[in-house]
Amino acid sequence: MKTELNHSQQTEIQIEKSPSSLSILWREVVKDKLALVSMILLALILLVVYGSAIFLDQEKIVKVDLLSIYAPPSSEHWLGTDYGGRDIFGQLIIGARNSFTIGLAITLISCLIGLIVGLVAGYYGGVIDNIIMRVIDFILVLPFLMLVIVFVAIVPKYNVFTFILIMSAFLWTGKARLIRAKTLAERELDYVSASKTLGTPDWKIISREILPNLSSIIIVNLTLNLAGNIGIESGLSYLGFGLPESTPSLGTLVSYATNPDVLQNKWWVWLPASLLILVMMLCINFIGQALKRAADARQRLG
Amino acid sequence: MEFLKINHLKVYYPIRGGFFRRVNDYVRAVDDISFELRSGETYGLVGESGCGKTTTGRTVIGLIKATAGEILLEGKDIAKLSSREFSRYRRDIQMIFQDPYSSLNPKKRVLDIIAEPLRNFERLSPQEEKRKVQYFVEKVGLHADSIYKYPHEFSGGQRQRIGIARALTLNPKLIIADEPVSALDVSVQAQVLNFMKEIQKEFQLTYLFISHDLGIIRHMCDRIGIMYRGQFVEEGTSEEIFNNPQHIYTKRLISAIPNADPQKRKEQLALRKQVEEEYTNSFHQYFNHDGKAYRLKRISETHSVAIL
Ligand SMILES: Nc1ncnc2c1ncn2[C@@H]1O[C@H](COP(=O)(O)OP(=O)(O)O)[C@@H](O)[C@H]1O
Ligand SMILES: [Mg+2]
Repeated sequence: MKTELNHSQQTEIQIEKSPSSLSILWREVVKDKLALVSMILLALILLVVYGSAIFLDQEKIVKVDLLSIYAPPSSEHWLGTDYGGRDIFGQLIIGARNSFTIGLAITLISCLIGLIVGLVAGYYGGVIDNIIMRVIDFILVLPFLMLVIVFVAIVPKYNVFTFILIMSAFLWTGKARLIRAKTLAERELDYVSASKTLGTPDWKIISREILPNLSSIIIVNLTLNLAGNIGIESGLSYLGFGLPESTPSLGTLVSYATNPDVLQNKWWVWLPASLLILVMMLCINFIGQALKRAADARQRLG
Repeated sequence: MEFLKINHLKVYYPIRGGFFRRVNDYVRAVDDISFELRSGETYGLVGESGCGKTTTGRTVIGLIKATAGEILLEGKDIAKLSSREFSRYRRDIQMIFQDPYSSLNPKKRVLDIIAEPLRNFERLSPQEEKRKVQYFVEKVGLHADSIYKYPHEFSGGQRQRIGIARALTLNPKLIIADEPVSALDVSVQAQVLNFMKEIQKEFQLTYLFISHDLGIIRHMCDRIGIMYRGQFVEEGTSEEIFNNPQHIYTKRLISAIPNADPQKRKEQLALRKQVEEEYTNSFHQYFNHDGKAYRLKRISETHSVAIL
């Protein structure tokens, strides 16, 4: 009995001794000062945004109040109001929440599609791969921005969900290409051949053997894409092809700056939103870069 | 009935190119070879790099589709089976891979690596599975606690032992060993080879042993086939091949084996020169104008040579 206890203790120590690659990645990133600061700052922003968004009433915020049009910051309206007398601070919080959630949703959905398609194309190769790659080539030559604009015009019930779906429908292709290339390289390794000779079915080889070996690439790519996708949402909303005005977003707030009077004299309308976008994108980017460096270094070290 | 019989096996790789990636030509990696393995023996496939040894081994185990020919395992042709039908014979044939680094998934613990075939073919409780894995881990000379480690914590020789344990779990009849020690330090090569001999007796294994190193082949094999550009140039017992080589290509390979004894080095150098001369002079006696070997001709009960 006693020896058995001893035994299980030993095994626990050994499990500790072999950290997973993700925890190694995490350790490397935490060592990077810039990434660490970015991570803390981003966490704070998200905490404030998602925390206070719970207490804000979106209906009340987007309601037009003609008595306080373009009010400068005051104790009642912390960041003043816009041309409809709507509270900027409230819109900023709700908008940041919307923009981040949308960016995250687009990133996750497009990553999931890209992952599945890329793994299948890379693993099976041959005709399947050929067909998939031609489809991806076709999507890539389509004029993305123009089509999004067309979609916005023709989709009858245009809301957050349709926006996420339209964006994801275009953005999975890059991910699929990356994952396919990595899978092609991975499947040539003997551990995949070994799994085949051991009778492991293909879907299990793909999900349990190859996928774990792509995990750091996926994490890095996910992070870098998240920054880009938050930017895309804001950019499209700025151009007027993003979300309707009834759904506050950072892009909508920034777009008020197209009015020269607002741009010059009413900084409180657009500046906070612009800064928030900038800070969030930079933070995520720094984290992503650090992850990338850590993953590359790990690859070099073997 | 022979345990494993290969009849006129051909494996061609298509070379694609140009528009629409059409097939332009073929690499004739294995071009009409026939041989057989008897139960319990070690059959050696030798030849220089690129002569088609790996392709032969991987075709026998079903990783590569044969272009033509038969692979009879205990009388049943497994060459043309679909992968689902093949799964019944999966357990009987296993493989030890050349590269102990890439053949173990770096993300999996030894327990999960060795238990992989068990999870595919047997329904075991976690306790039974662990016990069985530990049995094989100890069998191959590693500590029972190794099962919670990852591959990178082991040396090349130890990794190769893990690969051997994995191949043994399903109780196979035939093991294909594709250059199993060529990636290892010379000091551990002998250890692993002797260990393979031990388990051969214990588990009654038949080996198809692939190597470019005649010294190792001599140490391991009962019968030997010499391959040259996808074909056999000579086949015979170990004794016949090493003491009475008939084909010039075999003679050349044997004369190239390094000799450890410094006294005999001079002698060997002279022999090597002589063989090399014979090789250039009598090339057309042994190869046709395409540089391909002739058909095998039986010169004794067990000995065949590719001569006119
Ligand atoms: N996947 C492949 N596609 C095309 N040609 C290949 C492929 N694999 C091997 N070959 C070619 O087939 C021949 C035999 O290769 P191989 O069986 O690996 O030889 P060996 O194991 O004896 O070194 C070589 O000329 C090699 O270039
Ligand atoms: Mg080889």
